[in-house]
Amino acid sequence: MTDLAQSLIDALALGGLYALIAIGVTLIYTVMGMMNFAQGEFVMLPAYALYVLAGLPFAVAVCGALATGIAIAVLAERVAFRPVRNADLAAQLVTSLAVATILQNAVSAGVDARAQSVATPELLSESSQIGALSIPNLEILTLALTVIVLGGLGWLLYRTRIGLEMRAAAENFEMARLLGVRANRVIAIAFAISGALAATVGVLIVLQTGQVSPTMGLTPVLVGFIAVVIGGFGRISGAVAGGLVLGALSSLLGTYLPDGLVPFRDAIVFSLPVAILIVRPQGLLGAATGEARI
Amino acid sequence: MNGGGLRSPASAATSLVVPLVLVALAALIGASGTPSFEGTVTLILCNLIIVLGLQVFIGNSGVYSFGQLGFAASGAYVAALLTLPATFTALQTPELPKLIADAQLGTLPSTLIAAAASGLLAAVVGWPLMRTSTLAIPISTFAFLIVAYNVLANWDPVTGGSSGLVGIPTTTDVTSAGVWAGVAVVVALAFKWSAGGYRLQATREDEVAARSIGIGLMRERLVAFTISGTLCGIGGALAAHQSGTLSPDTFYFAASVTTITMLVVGGARSVLGAVVGTLAVATVNELLRNLEEGSDAFGLVSIGATPGLAAIGLGLILLVAMVALPGGLSGGREAGELEPVRRRLRSRAPSTSPAAAAGRARPQPARGSAGSLRAEGVSLAFSGLRVLRGVELALPPGEALGLIGPNGAGKTTLVNVLSGFQAPDSGSVLLDGVEVTGWSPPRLARAGLGRTFQAALPFAGLTVVESVAVGAMGVGVGRREAVAVAADVLERLGLGEQAQSPAGLQPPGNQRLLGIARALATGPRYLLLDEPAAGLNDEECRELVAILREAIQDFGCAILLIEHDMNVVMDLCAQVQVLDDGETVAIGTPEEVQADPAVVEAYLGTSYAVGAHA
Repeated sequence: MTDLAQSLIDALALGGLYALIAIGVTLIYTVMGMMNFAQGEFVMLPAYALYVLAGLPFAVAVCGALATGIAIAVLAERVAFRPVRNADLAAQLVTSLAVATILQNAVSAGVDARAQSVATPELLSESSQIGALSIPNLEILTLALTVIVLGGLGWLLYRTRIGLEMRAAAENFEMARLLGVRANRVIAIAFAISGALAATVGVLIVLQTGQVSPTMGLTPVLVGFIAVVIGGFGRISGAVAGGLVLGALSSLLGTYLPDGLVPFRDAIVFSLPVAILIVRPQGLLGAATGEARI
Repeated sequence: MNGGGLRSPASAATSLVVPLVLVALAALIGASGTPSFEGTVTLILCNLIIVLGLQVFIGNSGVYSFGQLGFAASGAYVAALLTLPATFTALQTPELPKLIADAQLGTLPSTLIAAAASGLLAAVVGWPLMRTSTLAIPISTFAFLIVAYNVLANWDPVTGGSSGLVGIPTTTDVTSAGVWAGVAVVVALAFKWSAGGYRLQATREDEVAARSIGIGLMRERLVAFTISGTLCGIGGALAAHQSGTLSPDTFYFAASVTTITMLVVGGARSVLGAVVGTLAVATVNELLRNLEEGSDAFGLVSIGATPGLAAIGLGLILLVAMVALPGGLSGGREAGELEPVRRRLRSRAPSTSPAAAAGRARPQPARGSAGSLRAEGVSLAFSGLRVLRGVELALPPGEALGLIGPNGAGKTTLVNVLSGFQAPDSGSVLLDGVEVTGWSPPRLARAGLGRTFQAALPFAGLTVVESVAVGAMGVGVGRREAVAVAADVLERLGLGEQAQSPAGLQPPGNQRLLGIARALATGPRYLLLDEPAAGLNDEECRELVAILREAIQDFGCAILLIEHDMNVVMDLCAQVQVLDDGETVAIGTPEEVQADPAVVEAYLGTSYAVGAHA
């Protein structure tokens, strides 16, 4: 029983992490219609900020990481994504792939292509005893952050003017512009929030693994994409659901898969979206929309 | 490789010869250099085969797949395991089935088997993947790439695991790579110019319009995905035989980025683009790699070793190409379609006159005239809003029925139900007495039901004659006959002169006619027209009516006409049905319904209903 509870909490924590990534991907998709490959680099660069700021108090380093995430996301939007804002989905996807390649290799060239270790606070590698369960503090932090982010995002989207503008832009970009929504501002803010989310994920991954590497963003961005696809494009709720499903599955398979199959865990996890999409092409929470154009 | 009327023979020949010459030139330059240079060029040619594989799927479908390198990997592993000597396999892959472990085939059979295996894998993987939406395919194919990588890296006893394989016979030389690349060029062009290729390109231009002319999205995509996987498998197999070593990383993320960059920089829509892009990007890449290793580039700049420099350069090239050069270096055109070439070809020989083909074939007219198109008690609600309330409709063969009513009456929705784009909540649709409710639009199109849309939905990237011929190809007519059908239809609609110009550059009136031409080319027995006269001037309206009357007489085609211009309706339709608020309020001759108080009320409101009609 405690074993099961323990693995459920593990599953929930990983699912929460994945959900945070997926929300970042979805935010950009909703305001711009772009699947952003460089989201993984928005995770990786803040992690390197932690590595560079290692001598400072950890809280300061985390602030540095957040600032890095926001800055790089806003900068990428201004320099690379704005020119292709009206291009088709494929063109935008390939553009973001180019940005990802440049950032990733810039770190390879500037720091090192190999992984570097980063010291993390003692407290977060310990566990807390709750009843019969021993829960890693990091998992508690991850879950708390997920809840805080979801609450904050809900407040922002549904209780503030900028949130209203973002939702309007997501519904119908051109109409929103005609009604006075400033497109550049809305998109820049979406990128800033997305960058902050990615930075949070980057910090959590460093806390978990104790190291950084130029390719560390690849798995998160793929997980984020797939969570978004499973959940149904363009819905925050779908992103959360997709992230939770994917994280929980990955975690539970790690615990319960027969020894011989454990190396193939990722292969099984990444086959899942296809299975879901065959049954529900619009994703778990996506609406079955009709042909809007005819 | 004759275009058979879709393009002039000279243009087709130019489109084929130029990329082949480029491949031959690359191979010649490679053969004349040092052995290490020759090896580099050989590997570039192997890459070219993979990029051509990408072009077949991505270029024609317009959908990006990030998974094709997985098929290159499968080809490489199959070829390697089939050619490795038994002593090597015993060491590297102890649990490989004995038959494969002991096999020590020559390069040609191993390459052919690798091609077949990769094609099969692509068909099996593509079957579920192509079912996902256009939006999801890039992601789900990426998921496949990760799965493939994971299996190759972790299935140690069979694949050699993450350390990979060594000792593969190095039998690929620059000649054999060049020949295979030439074959790949021919295959890619032949597919692009086949009926299947055109059907796929139509889905790239407009999914909805493509479905309306009988094209099944998944099927066409799956065919291209399989051919693409086969070509990638060949490229992978040859590359493995070039370098002699193989690991799961060889064909993973970095290789995906490189090959996609090559395709995009050259221009994904053309085979020429794949060739030019590969050669251009590979050249820059090699120069950057020299820089990366710290050698003196051009004897001018000398810098220390910087890993990642080549990849940064690649990323920058890709970024600039996306922002500044959306069509790629080739502009998405084949060699025979480039402007200077066109001009020279035109001055030399007049293009095949479409009129010459007319009369040879025409859309199959009424295949049996029994029955009619009927809607029985069709009801439909959109989240509570009742759009259709038990609508009855009967369109007898060879007749024209006008469907009118105020905005929001449900006219377009009814056409969507009849043509399969929208399933009704209740009620049924019958085609010649056969219940067809729930049939997909492509299936209905093949059964003889054509339609147009309020928007013209042109196949902008195709020429005028291609975008009409693809209508006939959509319902299964062969390419040559489809071209004759298109020529005939275009001649009737007075668009013969424009046959070879891009559909996307036609004026709005012509684009509207093209939509009708495309539907007529499917040889429909029932044609549903959604406001065909919108935006046409009086002259054009009269021409439209003449064309439609001819369609009824010559092809025996029945027409359901949604139209606000009552002159057009009265000219063409003996019967008019009036919809209001999802219900039929009147049926009769145009004069009768115009005098009907219920109709006046529907258009103008109750207060005008009594005696206000002139």
